[in-house]
Amino acid sequence: MNFEVVNRELCVGSIRIIGVSSSSLLMVGDANSIQLTSLFDTPAESLIIGPFVPLTPGG
Amino acid sequence: MYRTSKVDSLKVDSSALSSVIQIGDSTSITAFTRAIAVQRQKELFYSNEGNFNSFPIFSFQLPIEPIVEPITIGSTSLHPLIQVGSIDISGVTSAAVLHIGSSCQFQGESRTLHIRQLEHTNGNSENNVE
Repeated sequence: MNFEVVNRELCVGSIRIIGVSSSSLLMVGDANSIQLTSLFDTPAESLIIGPFVPLTPGG
Repeated sequence: MYRTSKVDSLKVDSSALSSVIQIGDSTSITAFTRAIAVQRQKELFYSNEGNFNSFPIFSFQLPIEPIVEPITIGSTSLHPLIQVGSIDISGVTSAAVLHIGSSCQFQGESRTLHIRQLEHTNGNSENNVE
């Protein structure tokens, strides 16, 4: 595959962001390869209603 | 191929948990973070709890295909400057990257498990908690 890029003038006034989180990227520049993954899990069994039992220790 | 980046002013309030603020070019950045986020109805903290090995989300193999397709990239920079007036960010966290400048390769991975623990009372059954 051939990919041809022509970079012309790029000028941004101002950027205002609350948060950049969980394997995300804010980049002012060029990159060759970007690979980002993020997993967020709230399974049904993660809602525990009952006594406050500590999680498995260690780790 | 790579252009010059120019940022006049940068303001970041906080940076935490395996996050990177990179000013200048880089070759390769690999960021990784894993977290168990526990919310309890009562203020209760046990210092020694939580084991990443006991939750499958932290050992799950990601189905990422290797990049095998040969790509020929040709680039012409008619204007070799990326200009930004100001950047204002409240927080950079959890394997996130703020990068001013060019990079060759970036890889990031974040895994979060969210657990909620609620107190059991007569009026607080599983049916009325959504």
